[in-house]
Amino acid sequence: MIPFLFAAVAAAASPQPAAAAASPLALTTTMLAETRVPAADGSVTMKLAAPNHVGPGDRVVVQLAYRNRGTAPIAGLVLANPVPNGLAYRGPRGAGAAPEVSVDGRTFGPLSTLRVPAVAGGTRPATADDVTHVRWRLNSPVTAGTGGELAFQAIVR
Amino acid sequence: MFTRTMRLLLTGTAAVSGIAASQAGAQTTPNGTAAGVLVTNTANATYSVNGQSQTTASNAATFVVDRKVNLTVVALQSADTQVNQGQVGAVTTYRVTNKTNAIQDILLDGDQNLSLGLGLGTDNFDMQNLKAYVDSNGNNQYDPGVDTATFIDELAPDGAVTVFLVGDVPASSAQLAIVNLHATVAAGGQAGTKGAALTATLLNSKDDVDVVFADADTDGVGADLLRDGQARAYLAYVVGIHDVALSVTKSSFVVSDGVSTLNPKALPGAVVEYCLAVRNATLGTGANAVTLTDVIPTNTTYVPGSLKIGLPGGSCVLLGGEAQDDDATDDTDGTTYKGSFDTQTKTVTAIIPTVNGGAAVSAAFNVTIN
Repeated sequence: MIPFLFAAVAAAASPQPAAAAASPLALTTTMLAETRVPAADGSVTMKLAAPNHVGPGDRVVVQLAYRNRGTAPIAGLVLANPVPNGLAYRGPRGAGAAPEVSVDGRTFGPLSTLRVPAVAGGTRPATADDVTHVRWRLNSPVTAGTGGELAFQAIVR
Repeated sequence: MFTRTMRLLLTGTAAVSGIAASQAGAQTTPNGTAAGVLVTNTANATYSVNGQSQTTASNAATFVVDRKVNLTVVALQSADTQVNQGQVGAVTTYRVTNKTNAIQDILLDGDQNLSLGLGLGTDNFDMQNLKAYVDSNGNNQYDPGVDTATFIDELAPDGAVTVFLVGDVPASSAQLAIVNLHATVAAGGQAGTKGAALTATLLNSKDDVDVVFADADTDGVGADLLRDGQARAYLAYVVGIHDVALSVTKSSFVVSDGVSTLNPKALPGAVVEYCLAVRNATLGTGANAVTLTDVIPTNTTYVPGSLKIGLPGGSCVLLGGEAQDDDATDDTDGTTYKGSFDTQTKTVTAIIPTVNGGAAVSAAFNVTIN
């Protein structure tokens, strides 16, 4: 228990570049704004761009790129992404594995299995707005030199 | 053991985000996350290499929530405002709501109709001195001298205030004046100071608070546009009833001929009473300042002091009505009605201040046949 706790404190306290240099895993996140670009023929394409023009209700994609830059395989990789303040989770995005979600940071699972306290007492089924954490668990090891990209869809609250 | 550790680590993350979430609570508005809030994403990885557990935090990706400018203006009255010609301070009432994710000033001005098809009728006159005032006490009633603010100061997100357009009706107006309240979102932040109208930011970075217009086209006729930071609502002033059905009937009978008392004839020297009856057939609407004039027939002579005006009855005027003198000075005439006889033009004039809707007033005078 104690070494694990130290590890957690160290990760939180150390500056990120130093931590990245020491770790075999490179983890990079980006947020992009998704804008609808209507074409002359009436079709609409979604374009990802830097989040320069983003206000409430606008669509944002949170991307997570990981890469094993070490020499040994990485096993049991769990990528946890708290939903940023100001954003609301909307769903998985892209070809990567669908994430598990949580409404309290402790219990993870498909959204349909989660419940949250209701205003009137008791609980109600959780909605995408209630999601506070997004988590991916990779079943197969990440071999040296390989990586991948995961993403989820959100909107600005 | 491992599972339990995992839980502990994740609990730590949750605790951190819990604090941040409560901070964000102060940064949200009814219209979404407040402009200027920094959105930061950081991910954490836990994994093992050769059996050794490790953690890695990602970089922090950030952007700043922009100012999503939106507002609505709606008419707060369901019908047009009924006015009279020459009416001063006629009011139309509107409601302005700030749908922006920040506190904003809102500039106001009253515009005349833009001569476009709004389905409100055909605009055919303009209001004068049209000004916009903010309802200061929230009673939705225009209080002259109380509601004096000419712009909305520091309107909170999703806050709404009532705004009045106040104008004067020209003395000789046509029937319909369409007006609109034109509201423009302006910079807030300084109470008591009128901010400048916002303009959309073109060149920007993700870490600046940009102005992004998100308002609708409120009229569809071109005066207001999609995403221009402005909104309009239209109402009309209607000059109520323009004409009343006023009719005058003239009758006469011989009062005396000096020969026969039972059946007097129109002989020379006979006295003839003329009766002018004015009737207003429009119920509920009075006719003001009615003036009757009548040139006496040739070969007759006006009987001085014979003009009487009053409610119809008897031979012409009920109970003799109000007797008038013949001079042009009205002060010495009856209290309600005024009358005179011009000896040059041989014209009898009767002035009736008001003929009520559905009512009638009569004037009688005598002549002698030459």
